[in-house]
Amino acid sequence: MTLPILPTTMVGSYSMPGWLERLKTEYFSRRISRHDLDEIHDNAVRSAIKDQEMAGLDIVTDGELRRDNMIDYFVERLPGIQIDRSSKKFYYDFYDSEVLGKIPMAALGLSEDFKFLLANTEREAKISITGPHSLTKRIRNKHYPTEEALATDIARVMNMELKELVKAGAKNIQIDEPYYSGFPEDISWGVKVLNTLVEGVQAKIAIHICYGNRYGKPSWEGSYRYLFPAILSAKVHQLSLEFARRGGEDLELFREFSPPFELGAGVIDVKDQAVETPEIVAERIRKTLKSVPAEKVVVLPDCGLFHLPRDIAFAKLRAMVEGTRIMRKELGH
Amino acid sequence: MILHLNHTRRDSAAAATSEVVATFLTMLEEGQLTPAQFARLEIYLDWLQYKQNFREPVTVMQSSGDESGAAVRLDVRIDSRQVPEGSLRELVQKALGPRGSEQRDSAGRIYLEDFRSFRSSITWDFNRLYWQRLKDWEHATGKGYEKELPGGVSDGHQPEAISDSVGDFWTLLKDLESQNQLPQEVFILEIGVGLATRAARWLDRFCVLDQERGTNYYPRLRFLLGDYSLSTLERSRPAVMKHIELCSFIALDALDPIKTLSFLRHKILHVHSTNMYDNLPDEEIVWRDNRVYWVQVRAYVPPADAARIAGACGIEVADIERTVHRLLEVGADALPDRAKGMTFWMEIWKAIRMEERLVDAVDLPDASFPAGLSSAQMEDILKEAPGDLRIHLSSGALESFRNTLPLLHPRGYLQVQDIFVTDLHDYCMGFHGPGKLGGSIVNWVNGALLREVAERAGYDLHFAQFKYRVGSKTSVLYTTQRE
Repeated sequence: MTLPILPTTMVGSYSMPGWLERLKTEYFSRRISRHDLDEIHDNAVRSAIKDQEMAGLDIVTDGELRRDNMIDYFVERLPGIQIDRSSKKFYYDFYDSEVLGKIPMAALGLSEDFKFLLANTEREAKISITGPHSLTKRIRNKHYPTEEALATDIARVMNMELKELVKAGAKNIQIDEPYYSGFPEDISWGVKVLNTLVEGVQAKIAIHICYGNRYGKPSWEGSYRYLFPAILSAKVHQLSLEFARRGGEDLELFREFSPPFELGAGVIDVKDQAVETPEIVAERIRKTLKSVPAEKVVVLPDCGLFHLPRDIAFAKLRAMVEGTRIMRKELGH
Repeated sequence: MILHLNHTRRDSAAAATSEVVATFLTMLEEGQLTPAQFARLEIYLDWLQYKQNFREPVTVMQSSGDESGAAVRLDVRIDSRQVPEGSLRELVQKALGPRGSEQRDSAGRIYLEDFRSFRSSITWDFNRLYWQRLKDWEHATGKGYEKELPGGVSDGHQPEAISDSVGDFWTLLKDLESQNQLPQEVFILEIGVGLATRAARWLDRFCVLDQERGTNYYPRLRFLLGDYSLSTLERSRPAVMKHIELCSFIALDALDPIKTLSFLRHKILHVHSTNMYDNLPDEEIVWRDNRVYWVQVRAYVPPADAARIAGACGIEVADIERTVHRLLEVGADALPDRAKGMTFWMEIWKAIRMEERLVDAVDLPDASFPAGLSSAQMEDILKEAPGDLRIHLSSGALESFRNTLPLLHPRGYLQVQDIFVTDLHDYCMGFHGPGKLGGSIVNWVNGALLREVAERAGYDLHFAQFKYRVGSKTSVLYTTQRE
C-alpha cells in the first residue's frame, strides 16, 4: 500500500464512550461476564476503526478500546508480575503491581487484537505498545537491582512479542514512552532499553513521547531538549512528539540535531475540546515543514483521543485530514 | 411515625424530641390526625446553624402526587431553634392544615416566583444584588461584610495559615527548580479577592521568605486577582500596591475561570479561594426508596411581614412583588426615597421564606446533574449513601471546580478554604444551609461530590480542618495529582 506524502494517522487511542466505561466498570464489579465484555469490545473497536476510515486517516489503529489504560493492558499479560486485583475502584485506575522475581520469557498474546484490526480494515494498520521505561515506572520493583535491569528484562519479553506481531502482519509499530518526559535523567538508559526492545523487529518503528495524557491533562512540563542527543542513537524510524498544545518551539531541535528519523508531528491538541479548523492544522504543518522536509513528516494528534467525546474526537480527526490535504495541495501533490 | 433526628445538640434534641412525640400523639388521640396520616408521618428535627434562613419553624414538604396518592408520606420539618417554647402544637396544626399540605397557611403569601430549582430562584438575584451594591448595604448596616462572618473575620486572612501556604508554595518552587522545571513566569490565581487582604499578606510573606532564603523567585511571580465584580477589583488594588508590578486584576466568572484564562491552561501553579464556593448557586436532591427527587422551591414573603414592610416603606402590599423586581434591577433607588428603598431591601430579604416540594426525577426529564456528574455516577454514589438522604448538589461549586482544574500546571494545586460536608452521612446529622449571611446566601458545599468529580478529572481531594482558629468550621480542600 502506497501512502501519500504527509500520511495521517492516530497516536493510538480513540474516544472512549461513556457507555463502554460504565460496562468496563460493571465487569470489574462482576456484573457482566468476560465473554460479554469481549463482544462489547469487538463492536466498539469496529466502530472506532470505521470512524477513522470515515475521517480519512491513512493509517488506522484499533482505538485501544480494549485497554483500561496504557499500563494495565500490558502488566496483566507480563509473566511474573503480581497484580492486586482489588486495587481498582474505577476501571481506568492503575492496578497496584509488583515484580518479585526474574521475569520469564512468555508470549503476551497481543497478536489476536492486532489480527482483529487487520480483519476489519483495508487501510494500513498500526499497533501501539507501551514501552519498558513507562511500564517500569508503574511496577513496584522488589527483585531487580535497578530500574534499568527491570526495564531490560521487560524489553526482552516484549521484543519476542513484537516479532510475533510482525508475523501476524504488523508493519507499523509504535512504542509509547511518555514517562521519559517525567524522568529526563533516565534518557540514556531508556534509549538503550528501547533498542533492546526493537532489536531485529522487521517493521517500521515509531517512538511516541509526550508530556502525559492521563485524565486528559499533562503530567509534566518542559522542553524536548532533554531527548537530545541521546535519542539520536535510538533504532527507530520515527519520533512522534506533541506540538499542538505546547507550540512548535521544540521543532528547532530537528534543525539543530538533524535526526535521521521521520517526525510524527502532533498537530491536534487532545487536551482541549475546541475543534481545530483545517486552516489551523495546515498552519501547524507549515510550521513543521520549516524544520523537517515533507517526505519525513507524518501527521498525527498530540496523543491519544481517549478522553475526548466521540463527536469532538471525530471532528478533530476530520480537521486534521482536511488540513493535511490543504498542505498536500500546497506542496503540489 | 418516624422521627429523624438531624442534629446532635444533646439537651435541645432531647427536649424537642419529647415535645414532638407528645404533640403528635396528643393530636392523634384528639382526632386531629387520622391513624393513616400518623402512619405516614416522617418528622425531621433540625437545628439550623443560620439564625437567618428561609424556613418557617414548621414546614410540610409537598410531594408531587400528594393530591391523589393516599399512600404518599407526610414530611414535616421542624427547626427546633426557631420554635418558641410551648408553641409547637399550634405551629404543627397550622402547617398540616386540613389536607395535609400548606393550603391553609398559604393564604396571603406574596409569591415572588413559581416552583423551580433553588439554583434558579430569585433569592440568588438578591445575592447578586448584595455583592453588586455591597457599599450600600455596608453603609446602611454600618459594618463591613466580613463582620457578618462567624467570628467577624475571614479565615482567609489568618497570618499563620498564610505563612504556611507560602511555605508550601516555596517548597514546590524549590522542587521544580531542582528538577530544572521551574517556569520563567510563576502564575498564582486567587478567585474572589475581597479587599485583597489575603493576597497582600501572602505576597508580603512570600517576598520576605524569598529574601531570607535567597532564591529570587519573587520577581517571577505573576499574581492574578480574579473577581466577577469590577468594583471589588478596584477596591482591592490599594492593598497590594507594594506588589503592583506582579499583580493583574482580572474580571472573571467564578463559575467558569477557564473561559477568561484559557491562555493560562496548564500554567497556573497555585489557585486559591476562601469562602467562595459556599456562595455559589446550589440546588438539592432527595434520595429515597432508590429514587431521586428534585427539591423545588418557591420564594414568598409571609403575610404579616408583607403588611409590616409595606407600611414601613409607604407602598401597598399589592405592589411588593413589582417593587422587588425593581429593587433587583436598580437597588435602593427602587423607591423614590432611597432610605426607604434600603429598608425595603433589607426587610424583604430578612422576611423571605421558601416553600418546598419534591418532584420525582422521572417527571423532570430536562433536569440534569451538574456537568462532570453523570446520572450513572450519581446513582453509584447514592447507592452507597444512607437511605432517605437530602443533599446539596453544590452545582455552582462543582462547575467552578471543574472549570478551574484545567488551569493547573501538572505540578500545580488548588486550595479552597470553605465549609464542606465531606461525608454524605453528615447530611443526616445536621442542617447545612441554605442560610442568610448579611445580604448573601450561604450553603455548605458537598465535598463528597467534589471528590468524585475530582477523581474523574485526575485529582485526589483532601480535606483538612482549618487549625488556625479555635471553633472554626472551615476546612481546607487541596488537590494532589491522581496517578
